[in-house]
Amino acid sequence: MLTVVKDIKNQLKVTCISIKYALMREMINKASFLMNIIFMILNNSCFIIQWIVIYSLKSEIGGYSFKQILLLWGISASTYGFAHFFFKKSFSLSDTITNGKLDSFLVQPKNVLISAITSEVEVSAIGDMIYGYILLFLSDINIFKFVLFTLFTICGGIVITDFAVIFASLSFWIGKSDTVADTANDLITNFSTYPDGIFKGLSKILLYTIIPVGITTYIPVKMLTEFKISLTAIVIVMSIILTLLTFGIFYKGLKKYSSSNLMISKI
Amino acid sequence: MKKYLYIYKSEIMSSLQYIFNILLNMVGYTVLVFIFFNLWDYIYEDASQLINGYTKNQMIWYIIVTEMLWQASGARKLCRKICEDVRGGNIAYNINKPYSYIGYVISSHLGEMTIKALITIIVGIIFGMIFLNELPQISLIGIIIVLISAFLSILINTILVTAIGLLSFTIEDASPIYWLYSKVILILGTMFPMEFFPKIIQTIVRFSPIYAISYGPARLFVNFDIKNAVVILITQMIYVGIALGISNILYKKGVKKLNVNGG
Repeated sequence: MLTVVKDIKNQLKVTCISIKYALMREMINKASFLMNIIFMILNNSCFIIQWIVIYSLKSEIGGYSFKQILLLWGISASTYGFAHFFFKKSFSLSDTITNGKLDSFLVQPKNVLISAITSEVEVSAIGDMIYGYILLFLSDINIFKFVLFTLFTICGGIVITDFAVIFASLSFWIGKSDTVADTANDLITNFSTYPDGIFKGLSKILLYTIIPVGITTYIPVKMLTEFKISLTAIVIVMSIILTLLTFGIFYKGLKKYSSSNLMISKI
Repeated sequence: MKKYLYIYKSEIMSSLQYIFNILLNMVGYTVLVFIFFNLWDYIYEDASQLINGYTKNQMIWYIIVTEMLWQASGARKLCRKICEDVRGGNIAYNINKPYSYIGYVISSHLGEMTIKALITIIVGIIFGMIFLNELPQISLIGIIIVLISAFLSILINTILVTAIGLLSFTIEDASPIYWLYSKVILILGTMFPMEFFPKIIQTIVRFSPIYAISYGPARLFVNFDIKNAVVILITQMIYVGIALGISNILYKKGVKKLNVNGG
Protein backbone atom coordinates (compact mmCIF):
# COMPACT_ATOMS: atom_id res chain seq x y z
CA MET A 1 0.00 0.00 0.00
CA LEU A 2 2.84 2.35 0.95
CA THR A 3 4.59 1.65 -2.35
CA VAL A 4 1.43 2.56 -4.30
CA VAL A 5 1.10 5.87 -2.42
CA LYS A 6 4.80 6.58 -3.04
CA ASP A 7 4.39 5.77 -6.75
CA ILE A 8 1.38 8.10 -7.07
CA LYS A 9 3.29 10.84 -5.21
CA ASN A 10 6.29 10.44 -7.54
CA GLN A 11 4.07 10.45 -10.63
CA LEU A 12 2.33 13.64 -9.48
CA LYS A 13 5.71 15.28 -8.82
CA VAL A 14 7.00 14.40 -12.30
CA THR A 15 3.71 15.53 -13.92
CA CYS A 16 3.87 18.89 -12.13
CA ILE A 17 7.49 19.41 -13.27
CA SER A 18 6.54 18.48 -16.85
CA ILE A 19 3.64 20.97 -16.86
CA LYS A 20 5.81 23.65 -15.24
CA TYR A 21 8.48 23.39 -17.95
CA ALA A 22 5.86 23.27 -20.72
CA LEU A 23 4.36 26.48 -19.32
CA MET A 24 7.78 28.13 -19.07
CA ARG A 25 8.40 27.34 -22.76
CA GLU A 26 5.13 29.08 -23.66
CA MET A 27 6.02 32.11 -21.54
CA ILE A 28 9.14 32.92 -23.57
CA ASN A 29 7.10 35.41 -25.63
CA LYS A 30 5.18 37.20 -22.88
CA ALA A 31 3.14 39.45 -25.22
CA SER A 32 1.84 36.47 -27.19
CA PHE A 33 1.22 34.55 -23.94
CA LEU A 34 -0.94 37.33 -22.44
CA MET A 35 -2.71 38.04 -25.73
CA ASN A 36 -3.77 34.39 -26.02
CA ILE A 37 -5.31 34.46 -22.54
CA ILE A 38 -7.03 37.86 -22.82
CA PHE A 39 -8.44 37.23 -26.30
CA MET A 40 -9.79 33.83 -25.22
CA ILE A 41 -11.70 35.54 -22.39
CA LEU A 42 -13.06 38.12 -24.87
CA ASN A 43 -13.84 35.36 -27.37
CA ASN A 44 -15.91 33.46 -24.80
CA SER A 45 -17.61 36.66 -23.62
CA CYS A 46 -19.15 37.14 -27.08
CA PHE A 47 -21.57 34.30 -26.33
CA ILE A 48 -23.20 36.32 -23.55
CA ILE A 49 -24.72 38.45 -26.34
CA GLN A 50 -26.26 35.29 -27.84
CA TRP A 51 -28.01 34.50 -24.57
CA ILE A 52 -29.09 38.10 -23.93
CA VAL A 53 -30.87 38.02 -27.31
CA ILE A 54 -32.43 34.60 -26.62
CA TYR A 55 -33.63 35.59 -23.13
CA SER A 56 -35.19 38.76 -24.56
CA LEU A 57 -37.52 36.39 -26.46
CA LYS A 58 -38.36 34.00 -23.61
CA SER A 59 -37.83 34.21 -19.83
CA GLU A 60 -36.54 30.63 -19.46
CA ILE A 61 -34.87 28.23 -21.87
CA GLY A 62 -35.07 24.48 -21.21
CA GLY A 63 -35.83 25.15 -17.54
CA TYR A 64 -32.73 27.35 -17.14
CA SER A 65 -32.79 30.95 -15.94
CA PHE A 66 -30.22 33.44 -17.29
CA LYS A 67 -28.07 32.97 -14.17
CA GLN A 68 -28.11 29.20 -14.66
CA ILE A 69 -27.02 29.68 -18.29
CA LEU A 70 -24.07 31.71 -16.99
CA LEU A 71 -23.23 28.80 -14.67
CA LEU A 72 -23.61 26.33 -17.58
CA TRP A 73 -21.16 28.39 -19.65
CA GLY A 74 -18.88 28.83 -16.64
CA ILE A 75 -18.60 25.12 -15.88
CA SER A 76 -18.35 24.28 -19.57
CA ALA A 77 -15.50 26.78 -20.15
CA SER A 78 -13.57 25.81 -17.02
CA THR A 79 -13.76 22.03 -17.67
CA TYR A 80 -12.70 22.59 -21.28
CA GLY A 81 -9.88 24.87 -20.08
CA PHE A 82 -8.73 22.38 -17.40
CA ALA A 83 -8.57 19.51 -19.91
CA HIS A 84 -6.84 21.53 -22.63
CA PHE A 85 -4.34 23.17 -20.30
CA PHE A 86 -3.15 20.17 -18.29
CA PHE A 87 -3.75 17.42 -20.87
CA LYS A 88 -3.37 19.24 -24.19
CA LYS A 89 -1.70 16.32 -25.97
CA SER A 90 -4.64 13.99 -25.30
CA PHE A 91 -6.45 15.93 -28.05
CA SER A 92 -3.74 15.08 -30.60
CA LEU A 93 -2.87 11.65 -29.15
CA SER A 94 -4.11 9.92 -32.29
CA ASP A 95 -1.38 11.70 -34.30
CA THR A 96 1.21 10.78 -31.63
CA ILE A 97 0.25 7.11 -31.92
CA THR A 98 -0.01 6.84 -35.72
CA ASN A 99 3.23 8.73 -36.37
CA GLY A 100 5.25 6.69 -33.88
CA LYS A 101 5.88 9.62 -31.56
CA LEU A 102 5.10 7.50 -28.48
CA ASP A 103 8.60 5.99 -28.59
CA SER A 104 10.16 8.77 -26.54
CA PHE A 105 7.56 8.31 -23.78
CA LEU A 106 7.95 4.53 -23.67
CA VAL A 107 11.54 4.80 -22.47
CA GLN A 108 10.63 7.14 -19.61
CA PRO A 109 10.40 5.46 -16.17
CA LYS A 110 6.91 6.86 -15.50
CA ASN A 111 3.37 6.23 -16.73
CA VAL A 112 3.37 6.38 -20.55
CA LEU A 113 -0.12 7.85 -20.96
CA ILE A 114 0.30 10.59 -18.34
CA SER A 115 3.76 11.51 -19.68
CA ALA A 116 2.44 11.71 -23.24
CA ILE A 117 -0.62 13.85 -22.54
CA THR A 118 1.02 16.30 -20.12
CA SER A 119 4.04 17.09 -22.30
CA GLU A 120 2.54 20.34 -23.63
CA VAL A 121 0.12 23.01 -22.34
CA GLU A 122 -2.47 25.14 -24.19
CA VAL A 123 -1.99 28.75 -23.11
CA SER A 124 -5.39 29.98 -24.32
CA ALA A 125 -7.02 27.34 -22.04
CA ILE A 126 -5.96 29.50 -19.06
CA GLY A 127 -8.34 32.12 -20.50
CA ASP A 128 -11.13 29.51 -20.58
CA MET A 129 -10.56 28.64 -16.92
CA ILE A 130 -10.45 32.30 -15.85
CA TYR A 131 -13.65 32.97 -17.84
CA GLY A 132 -15.36 30.04 -16.08
CA TYR A 133 -14.56 31.53 -12.66
CA ILE A 134 -15.60 35.06 -13.78
CA LEU A 135 -19.05 33.65 -14.66
CA LEU A 136 -19.20 31.86 -11.31
CA PHE A 137 -18.56 35.20 -9.59
CA LEU A 138 -21.33 36.81 -11.66
CA SER A 139 -23.85 34.26 -10.36
CA ASP A 140 -24.54 33.82 -6.64
CA ILE A 141 -21.26 32.74 -5.09
CA ASN A 142 -20.09 31.55 -1.68
CA ILE A 143 -17.11 29.50 -0.46
CA PHE A 144 -19.05 26.21 -0.71
CA LYS A 145 -20.02 26.90 -4.34
CA PHE A 146 -16.46 27.91 -5.16
CA VAL A 147 -15.12 24.60 -3.81
CA LEU A 148 -17.89 22.62 -5.55
CA PHE A 149 -17.24 24.46 -8.83
CA THR A 150 -13.52 23.61 -8.59
CA LEU A 151 -14.33 19.96 -7.83
CA PHE A 152 -16.64 19.75 -10.88
CA THR A 153 -14.04 21.52 -13.04
CA ILE A 154 -11.46 18.86 -12.15
CA CYS A 155 -13.90 15.94 -12.57
CA GLY A 156 -15.33 17.33 -15.83
CA GLY A 157 -11.87 18.12 -17.20
CA ILE A 158 -10.74 14.57 -16.46
CA VAL A 159 -13.87 13.09 -18.12
CA ILE A 160 -13.31 15.22 -21.26
CA THR A 161 -9.68 14.02 -21.33
CA ASP A 162 -10.80 10.39 -20.85
CA PHE A 163 -13.22 10.73 -23.76
CA ALA A 164 -10.45 12.16 -25.98
CA VAL A 165 -7.96 9.42 -25.00
CA ILE A 166 -10.48 6.61 -25.59
CA PHE A 167 -11.23 7.83 -29.14
CA ALA A 168 -7.54 8.54 -29.86
CA SER A 169 -6.67 5.01 -28.67
CA LEU A 170 -8.70 3.66 -31.60
CA SER A 171 -5.57 4.49 -33.62
CA PHE A 172 -3.89 1.42 -32.10
CA TRP A 173 -6.42 -0.78 -33.91
CA ILE A 174 -7.68 1.16 -36.94
CA GLY A 175 -4.75 3.43 -37.75
CA LYS A 176 -5.44 7.13 -38.33
CA SER A 177 -8.44 8.09 -36.18
CA ASP A 178 -7.81 11.80 -35.60
CA THR A 179 -10.97 12.94 -37.44
CA VAL A 180 -13.11 10.49 -35.41
CA ALA A 181 -11.49 11.75 -32.19
CA ASP A 182 -11.91 15.44 -33.18
CA THR A 183 -15.57 14.85 -34.07
CA ALA A 184 -16.20 13.14 -30.72
CA ASN A 185 -14.49 15.97 -28.81
CA ASP A 186 -16.51 18.60 -30.69
CA LEU A 187 -19.73 16.77 -29.71
CA ILE A 188 -19.03 17.41 -26.01
CA THR A 189 -18.11 21.08 -26.61
CA ASN A 190 -21.19 21.79 -28.74
CA PHE A 191 -23.74 20.11 -26.49
CA SER A 192 -22.29 21.39 -23.22
CA THR A 193 -23.13 25.03 -23.99
CA TYR A 194 -26.89 24.49 -24.44
CA PRO A 195 -29.36 23.53 -21.69
CA ASP A 196 -30.41 19.86 -21.63
CA GLY A 197 -34.07 20.90 -21.28
CA ILE A 198 -34.32 21.76 -24.99
CA PHE A 199 -33.52 18.16 -25.97
CA LYS A 200 -36.06 15.36 -25.90
CA GLY A 201 -36.18 11.55 -26.10
CA LEU A 202 -33.16 9.63 -27.35
CA SER A 203 -30.89 12.67 -27.67
CA LYS A 204 -31.39 13.46 -23.98
CA ILE A 205 -30.59 9.86 -23.00
CA LEU A 206 -27.40 9.98 -25.12
CA LEU A 207 -26.26 13.16 -23.35
CA TYR A 208 -26.28 11.37 -20.00
CA THR A 209 -24.68 8.15 -21.28
CA ILE A 210 -22.56 7.83 -24.44
CA ILE A 211 -21.78 11.56 -24.75
CA PRO A 212 -20.91 12.35 -21.11
CA VAL A 213 -22.09 16.00 -21.10
CA GLY A 214 -24.49 15.17 -18.28
CA ILE A 215 -21.53 14.34 -16.01
CA THR A 216 -19.27 17.19 -17.15
CA THR A 217 -21.86 19.99 -17.24
CA TYR A 218 -25.58 19.36 -16.68
CA ILE A 219 -25.42 17.62 -13.26
CA PRO A 220 -22.77 20.10 -11.95
CA VAL A 221 -25.01 23.07 -12.89
CA LYS A 222 -27.94 21.45 -11.06
CA MET A 223 -25.71 20.75 -8.03
CA LEU A 224 -24.51 24.35 -7.92
CA THR A 225 -28.15 25.47 -7.86
CA GLU A 226 -29.51 22.80 -5.53
CA PHE A 227 -26.89 20.62 -3.86
CA LYS A 228 -27.46 16.87 -3.52
CA ILE A 229 -24.72 14.67 -2.11
CA SER A 230 -25.91 11.59 -4.07
CA LEU A 231 -25.63 13.24 -7.51
CA THR A 232 -22.27 14.81 -6.60
CA ALA A 233 -21.03 11.36 -5.61
CA ILE A 234 -22.25 9.98 -8.96
CA VAL A 235 -20.14 12.59 -10.81
CA ILE A 236 -17.03 11.68 -8.78
CA VAL A 237 -17.54 7.89 -9.06
CA MET A 238 -18.26 8.09 -12.81
CA SER A 239 -15.09 10.17 -13.32
CA ILE A 240 -13.02 7.52 -11.51
CA ILE A 241 -14.63 4.62 -13.42
CA LEU A 242 -14.17 6.35 -16.78
CA THR A 243 -10.52 7.13 -15.97
CA LEU A 244 -9.81 3.48 -15.03
CA LEU A 245 -11.53 2.37 -18.24
CA THR A 246 -9.41 4.86 -20.23
CA PHE A 247 -6.15 3.52 -18.79
CA GLY A 248 -7.37 -0.04 -19.49
CA ILE A 249 -8.18 0.73 -23.15
CA PHE A 250 -4.96 2.70 -23.72
CA TYR A 251 -2.70 0.00 -22.27
CA LYS A 252 -4.56 -2.75 -24.15
CA GLY A 253 -3.95 -0.79 -27.34
CA LEU A 254 -0.34 -0.06 -26.41
CA LYS A 255 0.42 -3.79 -26.75
CA LYS A 256 -0.37 -3.40 -30.46
CA TYR A 257 1.86 -0.32 -30.85
CA SER A 258 4.83 -0.73 -33.15
CA SER A 259 7.67 1.77 -33.21
CA SER A 260 8.45 3.72 -36.37
CA ASN A 261 12.03 4.45 -35.26
CA LEU A 262 11.11 8.13 -35.54
CA MET A 263 13.91 10.41 -34.34
CA ILE A 264 12.60 13.56 -32.68
CA SER A 265 14.17 15.96 -30.23
CA LYS A 266 12.33 16.72 -26.98
CA ILE A 267 13.41 19.97 -25.37
CA MET B 1 -5.35 33.25 -63.98
CA LYS B 2 -4.66 29.89 -65.63
CA LYS B 3 -2.07 28.94 -63.02
CA TYR B 4 -4.52 29.63 -60.16
CA LEU B 5 -7.15 27.53 -61.91
CA TYR B 6 -4.60 24.71 -62.11
CA ILE B 7 -3.83 25.04 -58.38
CA TYR B 8 -7.60 25.05 -57.68
CA LYS B 9 -8.14 21.86 -59.74
CA SER B 10 -5.15 20.08 -58.13
CA GLU B 11 -6.52 20.81 -54.66
CA ILE B 12 -9.95 19.45 -55.62
CA MET B 13 -8.33 16.20 -56.80
CA SER B 14 -6.26 16.06 -53.63
CA SER B 15 -9.27 16.65 -51.35
CA LEU B 16 -11.07 13.71 -53.01
CA GLN B 17 -8.48 11.46 -51.31
CA TYR B 18 -9.90 12.50 -47.92
CA ILE B 19 -13.58 12.09 -48.70
CA PHE B 20 -14.12 9.96 -45.55
CA ASN B 21 -12.76 12.77 -43.37
CA ILE B 22 -15.04 15.28 -45.10
CA LEU B 23 -18.07 13.03 -44.49
CA LEU B 24 -17.08 12.63 -40.85
CA ASN B 25 -16.81 16.41 -40.53
CA MET B 26 -20.46 16.57 -41.52
CA VAL B 27 -21.32 15.03 -38.14
CA GLY B 28 -20.25 18.31 -36.51
CA TYR B 29 -22.41 20.34 -38.90
CA THR B 30 -25.48 18.14 -38.40
CA VAL B 31 -25.04 18.27 -34.62
CA LEU B 32 -25.03 22.09 -34.72
CA VAL B 33 -28.13 22.14 -36.93
CA PHE B 34 -29.77 19.63 -34.56
CA ILE B 35 -28.98 21.81 -31.52
CA PHE B 36 -30.37 24.97 -33.17
CA PHE B 37 -33.44 23.08 -34.37
CA ASN B 38 -34.17 22.04 -30.77
CA LEU B 39 -33.43 25.53 -29.46
CA TRP B 40 -35.77 27.34 -31.87
CA ASP B 41 -38.36 24.60 -31.59
CA TYR B 42 -38.38 25.37 -27.85
CA ILE B 43 -38.51 29.16 -28.30
CA TYR B 44 -41.34 29.23 -30.88
CA GLU B 45 -44.71 28.35 -29.38
CA ASP B 46 -46.17 27.32 -32.76
CA ALA B 47 -45.10 27.18 -36.41
CA SER B 48 -47.17 30.22 -37.41
CA GLN B 49 -45.70 32.53 -34.73
CA LEU B 50 -43.58 35.41 -36.07
CA ILE B 51 -40.50 36.59 -34.17
CA ASN B 52 -38.91 39.72 -35.61
CA GLY B 53 -40.52 38.88 -38.96
CA TYR B 54 -39.34 35.26 -39.11
CA THR B 55 -41.41 32.08 -38.82
CA LYS B 56 -39.89 29.04 -37.08
CA ASN B 57 -39.10 27.38 -40.42
CA GLN B 58 -37.50 30.53 -41.84
CA MET B 59 -35.38 30.91 -38.72
CA ILE B 60 -34.13 27.31 -38.86
CA TRP B 61 -33.45 27.53 -42.63
CA TYR B 62 -31.55 30.79 -41.99
CA ILE B 63 -29.26 28.98 -39.53
CA ILE B 64 -28.88 25.94 -41.82
CA VAL B 65 -27.61 28.27 -44.60
CA THR B 66 -25.34 30.47 -42.43
CA GLU B 67 -23.78 27.43 -40.72
CA MET B 68 -23.38 25.85 -44.17
CA LEU B 69 -21.47 28.93 -45.38
CA TRP B 70 -19.30 29.00 -42.28
CA GLN B 71 -18.47 25.26 -42.44
CA ALA B 72 -17.74 25.48 -46.17
CA SER B 73 -15.28 28.35 -45.59
CA GLY B 74 -12.93 26.26 -43.43
CA ALA B 75 -11.65 29.59 -42.11
CA ARG B 76 -9.94 28.31 -38.95
CA LYS B 77 -7.77 25.92 -40.94
CA LEU B 78 -6.81 28.64 -43.43
CA CYS B 79 -5.84 31.12 -40.70
CA ARG B 80 -3.74 28.47 -38.90
CA LYS B 81 -1.96 27.58 -42.17
CA ILE B 82 -1.03 31.19 -43.00
CA CYS B 83 0.10 31.88 -39.40
CA GLU B 84 2.34 28.78 -39.54
CA ASP B 85 3.66 29.74 -42.99
CA VAL B 86 4.66 33.17 -41.70
CA ARG B 87 5.97 32.11 -38.28
CA GLY B 88 7.77 29.01 -39.53
CA GLY B 89 9.33 30.77 -42.52
CA ASN B 90 7.63 28.50 -45.11
CA ILE B 91 6.36 31.63 -46.82
CA ALA B 92 9.94 32.18 -48.09
CA TYR B 93 9.49 29.18 -50.45
CA ASN B 94 6.46 30.88 -52.03
CA ILE B 95 7.93 34.34 -52.48
CA ASN B 96 10.25 33.38 -55.33
CA LYS B 97 7.59 31.36 -57.21
CA PRO B 98 5.98 32.81 -60.38
CA TYR B 99 2.65 33.47 -58.63
CA SER B 100 1.27 35.74 -55.96
CA TYR B 101 1.21 34.17 -52.47
CA ILE B 102 -2.29 35.55 -51.87
CA GLY B 103 -3.56 34.14 -55.18
CA TYR B 104 -1.98 30.78 -54.35
CA VAL B 105 -3.47 30.62 -50.84
CA ILE B 106 -6.96 31.62 -51.99
CA SER B 107 -7.10 29.28 -55.00
CA SER B 108 -5.67 26.30 -53.11
CA HIS B 109 -8.00 26.87 -50.15
CA LEU B 110 -11.09 27.24 -52.36
CA GLY B 111 -10.07 24.04 -54.17
CA GLU B 112 -9.70 22.22 -50.86
CA MET B 113 -13.12 23.43 -49.74
CA THR B 114 -15.13 22.80 -52.96
CA ILE B 115 -16.03 19.16 -52.29
CA LYS B 116 -16.74 19.94 -48.63
CA ALA B 117 -19.02 22.83 -49.68
CA LEU B 118 -20.97 20.61 -52.10
CA ILE B 119 -21.43 17.87 -49.48
CA THR B 120 -22.43 20.47 -46.85
CA ILE B 121 -25.10 21.90 -49.18
CA ILE B 122 -26.54 18.41 -49.82
CA VAL B 123 -26.46 17.45 -46.12
CA GLY B 124 -27.98 20.82 -45.11
CA ILE B 125 -30.86 20.51 -47.57
CA ILE B 126 -31.54 16.87 -46.54
CA PHE B 127 -31.53 17.79 -42.84
CA GLY B 128 -33.73 20.80 -43.42
CA MET B 129 -36.23 18.63 -45.28
CA ILE B 130 -36.17 15.97 -42.54
CA PHE B 131 -36.70 18.50 -39.72
CA LEU B 132 -39.02 20.97 -41.45
CA ASN B 133 -40.69 18.97 -44.28
CA GLU B 134 -40.57 21.96 -46.66
CA LEU B 135 -38.20 24.22 -48.58
CA PRO B 136 -38.64 28.00 -48.52
CA GLN B 137 -40.59 29.33 -51.54
CA ILE B 138 -37.91 30.11 -54.08
CA SER B 139 -37.72 29.88 -57.89
CA LEU B 140 -34.95 28.19 -59.91
CA ILE B 141 -33.46 31.60 -60.81
CA GLY B 142 -33.60 32.46 -57.12
CA ILE B 143 -31.64 29.30 -56.26
CA ILE B 144 -28.98 30.14 -58.89
CA ILE B 145 -28.63 33.68 -57.49
CA VAL B 146 -28.37 32.31 -53.93
CA LEU B 147 -25.62 29.90 -55.08
CA ILE B 148 -23.68 32.81 -56.67
CA SER B 149 -24.15 34.84 -53.50
CA ALA B 150 -22.99 31.85 -51.40
CA PHE B 151 -19.85 31.52 -53.52
CA LEU B 152 -19.10 35.25 -53.10
CA SER B 153 -19.70 34.91 -49.34
CA ILE B 154 -17.13 32.09 -49.07
CA LEU B 155 -14.70 34.07 -51.27
CA ILE B 156 -14.96 37.22 -49.10
CA ASN B 157 -14.52 35.19 -45.91
CA THR B 158 -11.48 33.40 -47.40
CA ILE B 159 -9.80 36.69 -48.42
CA LEU B 160 -10.54 38.40 -45.09
CA VAL B 161 -9.17 35.42 -43.13
CA THR B 162 -6.09 35.51 -45.38
CA ALA B 163 -5.65 39.16 -44.37
CA ILE B 164 -6.00 38.22 -40.68
CA GLY B 165 -3.44 35.42 -41.11
CA LEU B 166 -1.03 37.90 -42.73
CA LEU B 167 -1.16 39.98 -39.53
CA SER B 168 1.25 37.32 -38.20
CA PHE B 169 4.00 39.34 -39.89
CA THR B 170 3.36 42.02 -37.26
CA ILE B 171 2.01 40.29 -34.15
CA GLU B 172 3.60 36.81 -34.49
CA ASP B 173 0.39 34.87 -33.79
CA ALA B 174 -2.78 36.21 -35.38
CA SER B 175 -5.01 33.39 -34.04
CA PRO B 176 -6.50 35.53 -31.23
CA ILE B 177 -7.62 38.13 -33.81
CA TYR B 178 -9.22 35.32 -35.80
CA TRP B 179 -11.10 34.06 -32.70
CA LEU B 180 -12.68 37.47 -32.23
CA TYR B 181 -13.46 37.85 -35.96
CA SER B 182 -15.13 34.42 -36.06
CA LYS B 183 -17.17 35.08 -32.92
CA VAL B 184 -18.44 38.43 -34.16
CA ILE B 185 -19.56 36.79 -37.44
CA LEU B 186 -21.05 33.87 -35.49
CA ILE B 187 -23.09 35.97 -33.06
CA LEU B 188 -24.13 38.88 -35.28
CA GLY B 189 -24.53 36.96 -38.54
CA THR B 190 -24.74 33.19 -38.19
CA MET B 191 -26.92 32.64 -35.14
CA PHE B 192 -29.40 35.48 -35.66
CA PRO B 193 -30.57 37.60 -38.59
CA MET B 194 -29.82 41.30 -37.98
CA GLU B 195 -33.52 42.04 -37.28
CA PHE B 196 -33.02 40.42 -33.84
CA PHE B 197 -30.69 43.24 -32.72
CA PRO B 198 -31.30 46.86 -31.70
CA LYS B 199 -31.37 49.44 -34.53
CA ILE B 200 -27.81 50.66 -33.90
CA ILE B 201 -26.36 47.12 -34.22
CA GLN B 202 -28.52 46.52 -37.32
CA THR B 203 -26.86 49.56 -38.95
CA ILE B 204 -23.39 48.30 -38.00
CA VAL B 205 -24.16 44.83 -39.42
CA ARG B 206 -25.64 46.38 -42.58
CA PHE B 207 -22.37 48.17 -43.35
CA SER B 208 -20.00 45.42 -42.16
CA PRO B 209 -18.72 42.28 -43.93
CA ILE B 210 -21.23 40.27 -41.83
CA TYR B 211 -23.93 41.44 -44.26
CA ALA B 212 -21.99 40.06 -47.24
CA ILE B 213 -20.73 36.89 -45.53
CA SER B 214 -23.74 35.63 -43.54
CA TYR B 215 -26.92 37.67 -43.56
CA GLY B 216 -27.15 38.43 -47.31
CA PRO B 217 -27.15 34.94 -48.85
CA ALA B 218 -29.17 33.39 -46.00
CA ARG B 219 -31.82 36.13 -46.14
CA LEU B 220 -32.12 35.63 -49.91
CA PHE B 221 -32.71 31.90 -49.41
CA VAL B 222 -35.44 32.25 -46.77
CA ASN B 223 -37.17 35.26 -48.33
CA PHE B 224 -36.11 35.81 -51.94
CA ASP B 225 -36.62 39.24 -53.46
CA ILE B 226 -34.90 40.38 -56.68
CA LYS B 227 -34.29 43.96 -55.43
CA ASN B 228 -32.52 42.64 -52.34
CA ALA B 229 -30.60 40.17 -54.48
CA VAL B 230 -29.14 42.99 -56.62
CA VAL B 231 -28.14 45.00 -53.52
CA ILE B 232 -26.56 41.95 -51.85
CA LEU B 233 -24.61 40.88 -54.96
CA ILE B 234 -23.26 44.44 -55.53
CA THR B 235 -22.29 44.73 -51.83
CA GLN B 236 -20.51 41.37 -52.04
CA MET B 237 -18.54 42.38 -55.14
CA ILE B 238 -17.46 45.62 -53.45
CA TYR B 239 -16.31 43.59 -50.43
CA VAL B 240 -14.28 41.22 -52.66
CA GLY B 241 -12.38 44.29 -53.95
CA ILE B 242 -11.90 45.82 -50.48
CA ALA B 243 -10.75 42.52 -48.94
CA LEU B 244 -8.27 41.89 -51.79
CA GLY B 245 -6.91 45.43 -51.39
CA ILE B 246 -6.38 44.97 -47.62
CA SER B 247 -4.70 41.56 -48.11
CA ASN B 248 -2.29 42.93 -50.71
CA ILE B 249 -1.32 45.91 -48.54
CA LEU B 250 -0.70 43.65 -45.51
CA TYR B 251 1.32 41.20 -47.60
CA LYS B 252 3.51 43.89 -49.19
CA LYS B 253 4.17 45.54 -45.80
CA GLY B 254 4.77 42.17 -44.10
CA VAL B 255 7.21 40.80 -46.66
CA LYS B 256 9.45 43.82 -46.13
CA LYS B 257 9.78 42.80 -42.46
CA LEU B 258 10.42 39.12 -43.25
CA ASN B 259 13.60 37.71 -41.79
CA VAL B 260 14.17 34.00 -42.44
CA ASN B 261 17.03 32.06 -40.92
CA GLY B 262 18.13 29.43 -43.43
CA GLY B 263 18.69 25.83 -42.46
